[in-house]
Amino acid sequence: MKIVSTYVKEMKIAFRGFYVYIEIFVAIIALIILLVAVKENPEGKSEEYLYNDIPSEILQDLYEKDIEKGSIRFIEDTELTIKPGVFTVLNKDTGFEETFEYKEEKTVIAKTYQKLNTDTGEVKGKAYVLENEEDMIRLSNSTGKVGATTTMDASGNFSFKYYLQGYETKRYSDVLYLLHTFSEDDIKAAMDQQTTRKIGGSGRLNNREAVVPIFIAFSGALMSFFIIMSYVFLDKSQGVIKAFAVTPSSVWKYLLSKILVMLTTVLISSSIVVIPIMKLKPNYLLLFLFLIASTFLFSCFGLLIASFFDNISKAFGVLYLTMIGLMLPAFSYYISSFDPLWIRFLPTYPILEGFKGIMKGQADVPYILTYTLVFLVGGGILLALANFRFEKSLTV
Amino acid sequence: MISVKNLSHSYSNDDKLAVKNISFEVEKGETFGFLGPSGAGKSTTQGILTGLLKQQQGEVTVAGYDIKKVQNERFNKIGVSFEQSNVYSKLTALENLKYYADLFDVPTRDPHELLKLVGLETRENDRAGEFSKGMKHRLTFARSMINRPELWFLDEPTTGLDPAIAAIIKDIIRSEKANGTTSFLTTHNMYIADELCDRVAFIIDGEIKLIDTPKNLKQQYGKKLVEIEYVKEGKICKETLKTVDDSDRKKIADIIKSYSIQTLHSKEATLEEIFIQVTGRGLI
Repeated sequence: MKIVSTYVKEMKIAFRGFYVYIEIFVAIIALIILLVAVKENPEGKSEEYLYNDIPSEILQDLYEKDIEKGSIRFIEDTELTIKPGVFTVLNKDTGFEETFEYKEEKTVIAKTYQKLNTDTGEVKGKAYVLENEEDMIRLSNSTGKVGATTTMDASGNFSFKYYLQGYETKRYSDVLYLLHTFSEDDIKAAMDQQTTRKIGGSGRLNNREAVVPIFIAFSGALMSFFIIMSYVFLDKSQGVIKAFAVTPSSVWKYLLSKILVMLTTVLISSSIVVIPIMKLKPNYLLLFLFLIASTFLFSCFGLLIASFFDNISKAFGVLYLTMIGLMLPAFSYYISSFDPLWIRFLPTYPILEGFKGIMKGQADVPYILTYTLVFLVGGGILLALANFRFEKSLTV
Repeated sequence: MISVKNLSHSYSNDDKLAVKNISFEVEKGETFGFLGPSGAGKSTTQGILTGLLKQQQGEVTVAGYDIKKVQNERFNKIGVSFEQSNVYSKLTALENLKYYADLFDVPTRDPHELLKLVGLETRENDRAGEFSKGMKHRLTFARSMINRPELWFLDEPTTGLDPAIAAIIKDIIRSEKANGTTSFLTTHNMYIADELCDRVAFIIDGEIKLIDTPKNLKQQYGKKLVEIEYVKEGKICKETLKTVDDSDRKKIADIIKSYSIQTLHSKEATLEEIFIQVTGRGLI
């Protein structure tokens, strides 16, 4: 009964303050941004400039075949402006250098195609096809993007010449070389012989969905670490903790009521973002269980830290550094190649991985349940420590 | 109701003691004043008695509980009115009292009745954050009565209140005393102590210098004089006469019988004067 009264009181105070509204406001803003500004499958960013030295009837036939296959799609004729400039082109095979100098700006028309994934229809990039090789070279240089010339000899064989910027890796130029040296079947056969390990299940999150795990892990669970400290420091500044300390109610009930408020507000703010974007894709039972466990962990951690300080100003250094540290796994989340062993020990790492799996609708249930248990036990230990600390320091 | 034996306390856990080996007892139904200037050790002592500070040395029993043992149920018998108002500013006055009422395991008082008692009945649905300092103090005071405490700790109960409100608070304290409540009143205001306390303790530099009833202290340290002003042949005359001297007592009687009396004051010492006399220090 006391815990219910304290929880109801805390909820009243929370909804009469501004932290809750900030959380809800941030969630709504995040939702709007995700729905309006983040495309589910954005157009690929790769762009290239092409010149084809191929008889027009053959070229037309090749394009029609590719369009029919679904690997390209004609969009429009695009007007491109080429700025004046001076640059040098080095032929890597011959070592021959050629300098180009242009003093006048030039406007050209390019046929624009989207490059598509034939299986999914996903846009992979954009190609501008030009009528003049020199214009293609100028555009490649001025935009810093790849240019290519395709030539067909009298026997009907194609050759390819790429215009790169010079800073590309050898691996990249080797790939371009391989693409045109070996047949598609040979490359596929070689790839099939490679041992590969699939990370994070077979499902896939689109660009918009991929932001959701980050949002609920950081703006939801991790933010509870900060907000619960704010609530405790507010109580300390008002002296109400002393008044609570001279009642028969236990300190742990006070602390638990704060955690319950955190859980309530995090569930609300996370639902605002998750439900409209993910719809029925995630297992919501698992999602809310994991969200409760991770929020519980960070709330208890926040309480423990708060027990060492009198006010938020004194705690700010620890608060700031801790939050920055706990956000580092976001790099691993977005950059697959950045996955050092030490980062896996940060609790936000399994939280992000867990939420990602749940969002994909292909959660690794034993993984989620194991970490749920770990977070609940870990949170319980932190809560016990915080309770011990507060019993000694809450009232002074 | 309170028994303190050889209590000492150090905030720095060394030989710098804020309270030095003090001992006293408070009887059931008594109003006990703990008087001293700022930094004397009043709040430290009250902090230990209310459990807000950890007991380090000595023996302390409060409301029948040894406070070294953690027994939260003892707070069902205790009420604490803090000097600094500490109510939830985002809750209304009524919500504040209702919430605290829920924290006790014993039958509690009607919050409406308490708010009426301290003159806040018309503001019960206003948030405490909108209250003046005095109103918050009254709300804090009212909250301390919510569990009908047998032992009531009052820390500067009238400080910062206007005289009318202070009079109401004093009346409430007297009324609770009449109902058998034991009060431990911490203050540096000797007039309040004089009006309300059965016994007072003077504490300074962490040590109790004296414990007695205000009446005994006045008798012991007072001057036993009467100052009298009267009109004689159209002129105002003023005389100070000893109440223990037979000739002076006869003279007082003659003056009262023969002349028109303008003012008549006994010159007994105030508690403040006695405090200064005993401790050699003022109360501020």
